[in-house]
Amino acid sequence: MEGTKGVLSHLNLLKVQARGLKAQPQQQQSRVKELKAKVEALKMQREQLKAEIQTHKKLQDLRSSMDNRRAEEEEEMNEDSENSQLLRLMARHTQLKDLLHAHHLIGGYDIMRTRKGVCVSLATAYEGFYLDTYNLEIDMKPRVRVSRHNIPPFIPLNSLTEQTHMQTDLRPFLDTLSQHLNALAGRKQQLKLVKEQHQSVEVMESNVLCSILVLMLTVLGEKTAVLCTLDYTDHTRSLPTHVRLECEDEQLPDSPRWKKNCSLLMETPVHKALLTMKKMGHIV
Amino acid sequence: MDDSIKRLLQRIIKRIPFEMLETTLEKWGRLTEAQRNSLDFTQSKWALTERLLAICEENEWSIKSITDLEMIYIIENPNLGMWNAFQLLDPDEGAHSVDLLQFKKQFKSHLSELIRHVSVKIKKHTDEAVWIRIAWGDNFSRPNHLKPTYVVHHLQTPYVFMTSLNSKLKPLLSQALILSTKHQTIKDANLRGRNLSSIRDLLMRQYQQEFPTKYPSPLAEKNQTLSNRHIEAEHAQAAANRHRMACEAFGRGTLPQLQSAVYKLETKFRDHTNKTMTEREEPFRCVVKFTSTNLLESFRHCASSGIASTPVSPLLSSVPSKGRNYFVVTDNGPGPTQLSQSQN
Amino acid sequence: MEQHQKSVARTPPTSTIAQRKSKSIGYRQSYHSCLSATSRLGLTSALTVRRLNTTRRTPKSHNITDKVNPEHLSLLVKTEWQLSYVTPLYQFRHTQLRSYSRQLSAFIAAEKQQGLAVEVEGLHSSFRVLFSVVQGLSESDDDPETVLIQIHSKPLFGKQDEPQKPIWSGWLTCINGNSEYLRSLPEDFTCLPLFGSNGSEDLTSAVKSWFKQTFDCCFGPLEISNTNLQWLVALWTNCHREYDIQYLKMIWTLPVVPPLQVSYTVNSTDAWDLWNSVRQEMRAGEDEAENVNSIDIEEVIHFFEGLKNHFYRHFRLDLSGGSLNHISSALGSAKLSGRIKIAYSRYMITTLTLLTECALLKMPV
Repeated sequence: MEGTKGVLSHLNLLKVQARGLKAQPQQQQSRVKELKAKVEALKMQREQLKAEIQTHKKLQDLRSSMDNRRAEEEEEMNEDSENSQLLRLMARHTQLKDLLHAHHLIGGYDIMRTRKGVCVSLATAYEGFYLDTYNLEIDMKPRVRVSRHNIPPFIPLNSLTEQTHMQTDLRPFLDTLSQHLNALAGRKQQLKLVKEQHQSVEVMESNVLCSILVLMLTVLGEKTAVLCTLDYTDHTRSLPTHVRLECEDEQLPDSPRWKKNCSLLMETPVHKALLTMKKMGHIV
Repeated sequence: MDDSIKRLLQRIIKRIPFEMLETTLEKWGRLTEAQRNSLDFTQSKWALTERLLAICEENEWSIKSITDLEMIYIIENPNLGMWNAFQLLDPDEGAHSVDLLQFKKQFKSHLSELIRHVSVKIKKHTDEAVWIRIAWGDNFSRPNHLKPTYVVHHLQTPYVFMTSLNSKLKPLLSQALILSTKHQTIKDANLRGRNLSSIRDLLMRQYQQEFPTKYPSPLAEKNQTLSNRHIEAEHAQAAANRHRMACEAFGRGTLPQLQSAVYKLETKFRDHTNKTMTEREEPFRCVVKFTSTNLLESFRHCASSGIASTPVSPLLSSVPSKGRNYFVVTDNGPGPTQLSQSQN
Repeated sequence: MEQHQKSVARTPPTSTIAQRKSKSIGYRQSYHSCLSATSRLGLTSALTVRRLNTTRRTPKSHNITDKVNPEHLSLLVKTEWQLSYVTPLYQFRHTQLRSYSRQLSAFIAAEKQQGLAVEVEGLHSSFRVLFSVVQGLSESDDDPETVLIQIHSKPLFGKQDEPQKPIWSGWLTCINGNSEYLRSLPEDFTCLPLFGSNGSEDLTSAVKSWFKQTFDCCFGPLEISNTNLQWLVALWTNCHREYDIQYLKMIWTLPVVPPLQVSYTVNSTDAWDLWNSVRQEMRAGEDEAENVNSIDIEEVIHFFEGLKNHFYRHFRLDLSGGSLNHISSALGSAKLSGRIKIAYSRYMITTLTLLTECALLKMPV
């Protein structure tokens, strides 16, 4: 027994050494994995930062619009203060609403615990107006799963849950979904405003997703019709990705004036762009 | 003049109720001022039909203009037949940018490639729905305008609604639809009903769904319903709870009108008082069909009145949440009874 | 079933023709005296049998096609009948059917002339009534034979050989009527308590009025109660051993707004398996040979509990909250409103036995 012990322990030693040698390439592999994970994490961080930038932008917009409003309100207050009690209540109401708005803007969602998981409300807003609210009931166990919701079927909910790795983190999923919904609300609202504010503009075509909008414009004075197609290919935005003009007068779309109109339509909400074009005397 | 044109006109006028005839003809807009005045709506429908047939000959109306009249009537009164919902799957890259013009052209050309004699008419309705009327013929006979199929689709949505479609022609229509909307496949959505707008609202989730929330939604500020407060005052906590769960399962207010729901059950019979049946290997086969003038409202009342226990059975709440009313139920794996049909 | 003997003696032996009115009260009393108070309360099992039978014999297949005129049988089988109960007929004679045919024809013609009823098949037609006996459609020796009434219309100015159109039919029957009660009836009364009709309401009420006038009887609507529909379901399911009932369909209506109809269709083999298992579980330990030919109400109740539990397990919806109002299988269909259709003649006797019992019980006191 004692004679064999020395041999066996030596063999053991050799085994351990061999294992150590084998482990080296594995270590390298795990290093690669680590780096890949880091890349993923950084990508995520980038996404989050992007979202934050957007949020800050929105906040800034809000602040400036609120400042404007406040300035207007103060003027009115001085003029007449007989109902000051009511006015104070109204002010408080506005303040609370703004707080709620700010809560939504910084990415705070209304989340409520339910029997199996949570229920999330996503409020949409455009230019300071609250629009539709959407809800999702999300089961947490055995796996994260949307069990019930009222998101319209043309929002690709299923692919969003996959793309944003909902299993590991709910946040990116909700952020992206909220972008889609807010953009939809924005496009829908713009279409509504075009119909309300611009009777001289004919809406030739639109769809439920508000991703295609075809307008018939009339050039002032000449009575020429211009067919204007707005393509909203990026469904997370409420501004078009492509604007196309068609006219009997083939020169017209290439004229500097209409080129400018084109970029105006690309950069400004459509109802505002039309207003500007009208003011400039380009269309009826 | 072609006799079939007159026959079709006669059929359509027969379908339109007398009191709607005048407005429908007006919307159609193919009568001259004088001809319109010559129609006496105090006369019998038979006499009016005779007069219209005479005008038809006078104006030499084509089959196209007659089918236009039919479409105007059907679009305004879609709840006359049984509508079936279908779902488009796997959109291609360009699916979201298909516009009406493109769709019209593509659909017509694809369908006429598949079948020689077919007559297609496409109209866009004000609510953004695209209405398609198809009169089918075959390789030997001309399209039969007396039995047209109607298809309704909202561009950029995954749903298509069809009525009066012969099962033999379904593959052709499906093929033309997936090609022209740029999708890979189409499948039966297992939802049928007489009320087109109801089955559309159900699938598009355009009805008042109820969700648990800490705060009333901002919209509720404007039109807060009083019913909630009444219920709290009048009923015990349990009743209020049942009512809330009933609304969460089926929705609030007026609900989309479905006429029926069918469940084909092939599940094991389990009953602790009946050993023989519980030990039986084979499933217990039965078909359960619910019918009502408004199925979802009946279900909601079942749950809120206590005839149905709360929380509501997932089989019942699946009707609104999955947007379908035909289910095959089998025991799938462990756990409680599951809906086995492919869930998308 | 020896319990029948006792109350015969209690039947008042009033049978003088001069006291018709009082007699008609008498027979009613006699029927209900059969159902002694104890039986209604279910205290003695021997007498409970007649209030609402809690035990019935298992249906057995009758070779009815050999016994009954095929023409009559095909009429009875293919039609949906609206049921009524009829109190015993005074001085009805199966030998007088020819004369009844003439009398009823004349009666309907008179009604029509008065403009009171009958607006069928245009004005220019007359009616031909035919009474006949349905031979062979009876079970026990005490059952009076079934009477069939058919009304045909014939155009007044039509050709002689033009075929007459059947426009109304009806029958009066008594199958396995409680023999104790039947024997207790005074001599001049014939008890055919179950009346089925098919055709226009006007003709039905004309026929009813003629019967009322002629035989001093009265009619009333016969609903088939929830319990009796459940009995029929069980009896029909039991037939599956010999004849494929194909399916078992039950329709409930739930009292919600708007009303919800639930139709529950069970595969016939699975229904039979359930029924069989209920029978076995209930009869464990009992002497089988003695009980295999009878069905107990407990079994019917258990069978329905099984069906309802299976339903509840899936839908969490309690069918007991609603009312069963329609049942059907390949053997026929029955509705709460008293409409019945028998689709397969071999088990007709079983169904009619149950309905005869319902009619006897429904008759006013």
